[in-house]
Amino acid sequence: MTDFKQIENNLKKEAKKLLESAEVPVVLAYTRGYDEKHPMPFAAKSVADVEKIVFNEYCNFNMARYIMRFPDAAKIAIAAKAADSRALVVLIQEEKVRREDLVILGIPASGMKDPKTDQLIDSRTTGGLYNPVEYDILLGEEIRGQKTVSPYAVLADYEAMDKEARWAFWKGQLDKCIRCYACRKACPMCYCDPCFIDQNKPRWADKAPQSPGNMMYHLTRFHHLAGRCIDCGECSRACPVGIPLYLFHKKVAKECEEMFGQAAGMKLEDKPVLVDFRVEDSDQILK
Amino acid sequence: MSFEPKILGIACNWCTYTGADLAGTTRLHYPQNLRVVRVMCSSRINPSFIFRAFQLGADGVLVGGCHPGDCHYNTGNLYARRRLAVTKKILEFAGLEPERFRVEWISASEGNKFAQVVTEFTAQIKELGPQQKLKIDELLEKI
Repeated sequence: MTDFKQIENNLKKEAKKLLESAEVPVVLAYTRGYDEKHPMPFAAKSVADVEKIVFNEYCNFNMARYIMRFPDAAKIAIAAKAADSRALVVLIQEEKVRREDLVILGIPASGMKDPKTDQLIDSRTTGGLYNPVEYDILLGEEIRGQKTVSPYAVLADYEAMDKEARWAFWKGQLDKCIRCYACRKACPMCYCDPCFIDQNKPRWADKAPQSPGNMMYHLTRFHHLAGRCIDCGECSRACPVGIPLYLFHKKVAKECEEMFGQAAGMKLEDKPVLVDFRVEDSDQILK
Repeated sequence: MSFEPKILGIACNWCTYTGADLAGTTRLHYPQNLRVVRVMCSSRINPSFIFRAFQLGADGVLVGGCHPGDCHYNTGNLYARRRLAVTKKILEFAGLEPERFRVEWISASEGNKFAQVVTEFTAQIKELGPQQKLKIDELLEKI
């Protein structure tokens, strides 16, 4: 289990050093919310802010969500767990941010918990990873020898369902959607402005939270995140009605990995699979 | 009355649409259930087109493009191939019927293939019956 207190101290120490050097005007980390279990995303902008930084097992937010909010900052330091670092890699691949403008404070973490259920989320939504894939400074011991579960293991039950049952399941889930767009807000990859669902010309779907519009919104969002979703699971945790969106994203990620042989956000020099192609891709994938 | 499906065909300007033209000029017969929309390239096809078509009452969607390597824009259909493969997987995992969505590479000289694909696909959709899962109720559509 990770020593969260030690990581918090290291995070404060590094944040202080960076802010004092004046090279980095913003450090993205976490702060206390209304209680221990509900930390908030936090941008430390001065040495005085550093004291407010916290890190505990409930700090699930994918901070990569926030890096594009500081277009004027010369450099941004960011606390990144395994999934967050993959999100950063995708954003770098998509040229939304430059690698040299980031100071990635890597956090190896196991034992992260969902504040709603207090369940461990490790094997469910971190893509089976505990250590960040890309970092400048590592804030704790690299985690070795942890039992790794395939990130796609949770899909087995749903893949085994027959088609009608699966349709009933997804229709039931997606009909619950109240279209608050919390999934979109929580997602580090959802940066389009405007989002297709907010467009009026063409108007892709109804804005009312009814079945057809919900279907259109979610199916298209699954598609837009194909080959880019890094499996942080924030969409499902942000969802107020508890739709397990991560399952669908995981399935699409799995298919992409099988078809194109590459998982999202693992290497800086890769390209997201849908903006890339190979002449020798098989036509069988269309069958 | 027997079920006559509505099938949306999205055809690329340079190959499949010209192939369809050839099928016409050579007086080949194929079912009239296909409504063809011409796009400049198969990579012009936004996956939302396909979901939307099903919502607006299409029973099947047929996408036609140039053979890989023959794209008028060199690489368009290679991107489209990956993209539409993902669309298919999404339809499958949502529990929809991926058989209702088909992608075929048909060149400008393959009028025969065009007629044959449309005949086959129409027969297949007829067998599957009307597409109900995504179709929007008319009442909702008016709102």
